[in-house]
Amino acid sequence: MPADVAISRPQRTRGGAFGDILFRTLTQFFAVLVLLILSGVILALVSGALPALETFGFGFLTNTAWNPVTERFGALAPIYGTLVTSAIAILVGIPLAFGIALFITELCPLWLKRPLATMIELLAAIPSIIYGIWGLFVLAPFVQEYIEPALIDTLGAVPGLGLLFEGPPLGIGVLTAGGILAVMVLPFISSIMRDVFETVPPILKESVYGLGATTTEVVWQVVLPYTRIGVVGGILLGLGRALGETMAVTFVIGNSHRIHASILQPGTTISASLANEFTEAVGDLYLSSLIALGLILFAITFIVLAIAKLLLIRLERQAGS
Amino acid sequence: MDLYARRRLSNYVVIALSIMATAFGLLWLALILGTLLVNGIGAISLSLFTQMTPPPGSTGGLLNAIAGSLLMTAIATALGTPTGILAGTFLAEYARNSKLGEVVRFINDILLSAPSIIVGLFVYELMVVRMGHFSAWAGSVALAIIMVPVIVRTTEDMLRLVPSALREAATALGAPKWRVIVTVAYRAAVQGMLTGVLLAVARISGETAPLLFTALNNQFWSANLDAPMANLPVVIFQFAMSPYADWQTLAWGGALLITVSILLLNICARMLAAWSSFKP
Amino acid sequence: MNSPLARPMPPDTDREPEPGRTAPPLKAVPGQLPEQMPIDPQSRAAAAASAPALKIDIRHVNFFYDKFQALHDISLPLHDRRVTAFIGPSGCGKSTLLRILNRIYQLYPGQVATGEVLFDGTDILSPGIDLNRLRAKIGMVFQKPTPFPMSIYDNIAFGIRLYERLPKSELDDRIESALQRAALWGEVKDKLRQSGLGLSGGQQQRLCIARAIAVEPEVLLLDEPASALDPISTQRIEELIAELKSDYCIAIVTHNMQQAARSSDYTAFFYLGELIEFDETERIFTHPKERRTEDYITGRFG
Repeated sequence: MPADVAISRPQRTRGGAFGDILFRTLTQFFAVLVLLILSGVILALVSGALPALETFGFGFLTNTAWNPVTERFGALAPIYGTLVTSAIAILVGIPLAFGIALFITELCPLWLKRPLATMIELLAAIPSIIYGIWGLFVLAPFVQEYIEPALIDTLGAVPGLGLLFEGPPLGIGVLTAGGILAVMVLPFISSIMRDVFETVPPILKESVYGLGATTTEVVWQVVLPYTRIGVVGGILLGLGRALGETMAVTFVIGNSHRIHASILQPGTTISASLANEFTEAVGDLYLSSLIALGLILFAITFIVLAIAKLLLIRLERQAGS
Repeated sequence: MDLYARRRLSNYVVIALSIMATAFGLLWLALILGTLLVNGIGAISLSLFTQMTPPPGSTGGLLNAIAGSLLMTAIATALGTPTGILAGTFLAEYARNSKLGEVVRFINDILLSAPSIIVGLFVYELMVVRMGHFSAWAGSVALAIIMVPVIVRTTEDMLRLVPSALREAATALGAPKWRVIVTVAYRAAVQGMLTGVLLAVARISGETAPLLFTALNNQFWSANLDAPMANLPVVIFQFAMSPYADWQTLAWGGALLITVSILLLNICARMLAAWSSFKP
Repeated sequence: MNSPLARPMPPDTDREPEPGRTAPPLKAVPGQLPEQMPIDPQSRAAAAASAPALKIDIRHVNFFYDKFQALHDISLPLHDRRVTAFIGPSGCGKSTLLRILNRIYQLYPGQVATGEVLFDGTDILSPGIDLNRLRAKIGMVFQKPTPFPMSIYDNIAFGIRLYERLPKSELDDRIESALQRAALWGEVKDKLRQSGLGLSGGQQQRLCIARAIAVEPEVLLLDEPASALDPISTQRIEELIAELKSDYCIAIVTHNMQQAARSSDYTAFFYLGELIEFDETERIFTHPKERRTEDYITGRFG
């Protein structure tokens, strides 16, 4: 080493072990904060819902009554509405999402892929309230004029199935809400499907194409089975989204605490009830019943999301091995 | 029909269906954006940005709502960004394989997809009930809680992309771990992290439900963070559901504003992600 | 954890060889200095005059990746102001050994080293060593150039700023001197504020060398520094190493045997985690003592 550079230096690294401990503690604190937020949510919901749960017990879940005047509340109608609209959303959304994912991954010319994927993702970026007002002013009248009469005339005449399509065409109702939800969850499911489809090793697909299989066969018999865990996880994530959607549904569901077999009728979902009634709820039991609804929604979505997450973790492990 | 012809036919059918599905999706996008444009453009005028929300039956603007939204978004970003980044740093740098890390990641992803109305209820119980009234603080906190999981996720993902060789090179010079993270890893991942923040802001820009239970709304101009504050989404909700044409027009104008902002934020985020001078 | 590195003890000096001894020992004993000095008296005297001091003494080191033992009982010396090359086929442990010397392996749990590594007499594997200061004295350059995402100036200044608060003029001087010694100054002196990522591969690697030199280490560990570079850059790096030799103890891992033969004074040949042979480079490449060494050098495997 050149002699002139042999200067004496301060004997400590600046920052060093103390900085390390401080920084680690800081970041750990905020990570734990995330856990605390979730616990806080559960605690807050439970404590808020307690009065209603204590008053009504398990009957709360099976009662369709919803009367602020007599203070009798039951969660069955909102739960039913939540489940039915989400079911419609998933049933309609899955094949559409699959079609889009198939197109983008297998059929689409290369230059179109990125822009197309981006546009579909923009569908996901549009906030719920925009879907809501659009649904109320554009979709609902359209459905009322064209779709519902058509359904009533065709499927409504079928015995048995016709029960699902009874009643006057109102435009708003369970069907419209389910339809909007389908459009909202479609980009989620589609982009997850796309991501997992792209994890299939090209060599695998090439070997099946090489045997003379058609695109449909390759996707149906190779890609889908290979990615089934991820696909199911994606569907569950989409379901979780549909279950919790608020504003879009609130505008078009009709807000009726009644259960009908017909999906042409109005109804309500948990989130729509909350959005519509919370700020005007008078009376502790009313408020507490609403929060109890929120607790139920949280429980349902938590379970669905947890299953989805566990599946996706399984998928990652499988891909890693 | 023989087998081969049948296979070809079913292939064409499926292909046709998938093209139709894609067109369907794009159709919705065009319809929604088109409707917004057509109905909302009529409301876009100077008065939209200079006048307050009017009582029913008279004209006005959305000034207080716009200002309220901007303010609460800013506060939420200030609260949520450091929380998200630091928590994400912990997951990426200290807890890659630990049990605590796995639990936090799991919970974070649950929160990420949880209904935002639940967050609204939570902050209602936590702050509005305690304070006795709705407030902009509560609204900002609710929005911050929605932002945090997004930022945690993107921060962790971006930091993980930084090659270990870079960290090793800094460590080999004798840098303590926190220095390696703050001066090298953050520097390398900054574009991705910023993208995450932009996406989180875009996410909360349209959130209505949580604000319904926390900041509520305010017909007048208010800069008081301790009181209900006007905001675009709740105003749109209220005006659109009303029977008054003036209000409905304003609602469309507000909807157009929100959508344009969100699209711009998304575009910026994508451009930022693409323009990365750091190639791993 | 913060105990400072001990003051260096007086370096071990060579034993003088017995005059007149010409026949090489039958089997090289790893860990000891070659007993055979050059034959003719003049070279012997010249070599004795610049007898290399022992800078790092690796003694009976074993290394484990969890349950897998990657290094078995390695003992060898690294001499000051000399270049020692580690050669061997892929997976033989040469990079693993290098990474023990600055304890960079400690970033990863599950990796364990046993044995002793004496750096100027102090065992750097012992628990009380301040790792940050150790790494200030033992610098490392990696296989792929790793410029930090900052300006060239800040890249070099990064290491310096870890240890010293210098006024700007002194900092400028230190940076210039480091870049000069890394043979990069001429090419970057007008663009110090530009990002280090904008340089070519060879320049980036010299930047990393300058960065390592700037903190004034005593030892330089080079892990295949030229393997990601084109032949011309490789040549420049080798010239650079020849110049740096006069100031540092250098250990270089390479799988390019010609490079080892050209650039190093001593060579250690590893195979499957064992040190097969250690000797002066010229001797190993012309008269290897072990069969496996000879097979590797002549290209029969690896």
